[in-house]
Amino acid sequence: MSKRHRHLEFEINLIPAIDLLSVCICFLLLTAVWLHVGALNVKQAVGGQPASETAKKPTVWAQINGVGDVQIDVRDSRVSAKLAKAKIEGKNGKPDLEALASFAGALKAAEPELTTVLIQPQAATLYEDIIDLMDSFKKQGLIDLGVSPL
Amino acid sequence: MLSTSIVKMSSFTSIIGGVSVIRPNGEKKTRNINAELLLTALIDAFSILVIFLLMSFSSTGELLMMGKDMELPKASADVLERNPVVKLEAGLLFLEDKPVTADGLVQALLDLRKNFQETRPGEEFPAILTVQADRRAKYEQLSGIVQASAHAGFSDIKFAVVIK
Repeated sequence: MSKRHRHLEFEINLIPAIDLLSVCICFLLLTAVWLHVGALNVKQAVGGQPASETAKKPTVWAQINGVGDVQIDVRDSRVSAKLAKAKIEGKNGKPDLEALASFAGALKAAEPELTTVLIQPQAATLYEDIIDLMDSFKKQGLIDLGVSPL
Repeated sequence: MLSTSIVKMSSFTSIIGGVSVIRPNGEKKTRNINAELLLTALIDAFSILVIFLLMSFSSTGELLMMGKDMELPKASADVLERNPVVKLEAGLLFLEDKPVTADGLVQALLDLRKNFQETRPGEEFPAILTVQADRRAKYEQLSGIVQASAHAGFSDIKFAVVIK
């Protein structure tokens, strides 16, 4: 019986792998999107249904001014008076997002059905502050957002 | 002096295995022609690049064209879809990259709706509008867009943001 010797040294041809990776890199570099843009949804009331016929549900009205102060007024809700009306003062001309998040969390815990927020900005309010405000409400589960025109 | 100098006989070995020899005395050069390229490191680098680029790949592509001075606000947001875009740039309004006046925006949006119904009869108009504006814009400039979209029957507004 003759012993079979196996040749253990082998070489993989890496050239096709390099070709494939080079083509992939070129394609991905050409089609790459470096800035990921998303959308923050806002619903608007369209139509002429009278207010008396609209089913009343708890709504947060949030007024924001040009220096980031937010005045909150919760309507058609059974939350305590302390939560129903509050003013969250801005920090360095911007809304205090941490305070807003904790307040919105407390509101949501007190009234789980609460999902609607109507934001009332003023003429001098920055677009960025409105978006920050909407984002902090949305993170706390208040997902039906609206913005009122001036 | 040259005989004791370092350049009398210097050899450089490259990573590809070839050897270059400097001999100031004018002796014959010998060069190793067999060069082996170490490809494993190259494949590693390429693989990392491909993974990184695949992670930043977006099948939707660029939906919004942005000027160099425009900065979108940041928020955790949903995926942006292709809808009519109203852009506010340097105080000017653009609907689908065509300039419009604040007063003419309602009519332009109504025309858009009419065109859709003419070209796609029987299909429901989506009534969604994407708003693209700089983060430093004041609401007095944006309020007109919100008002015009409500008048033209666009019930959903999507504010374009950079995903946090």
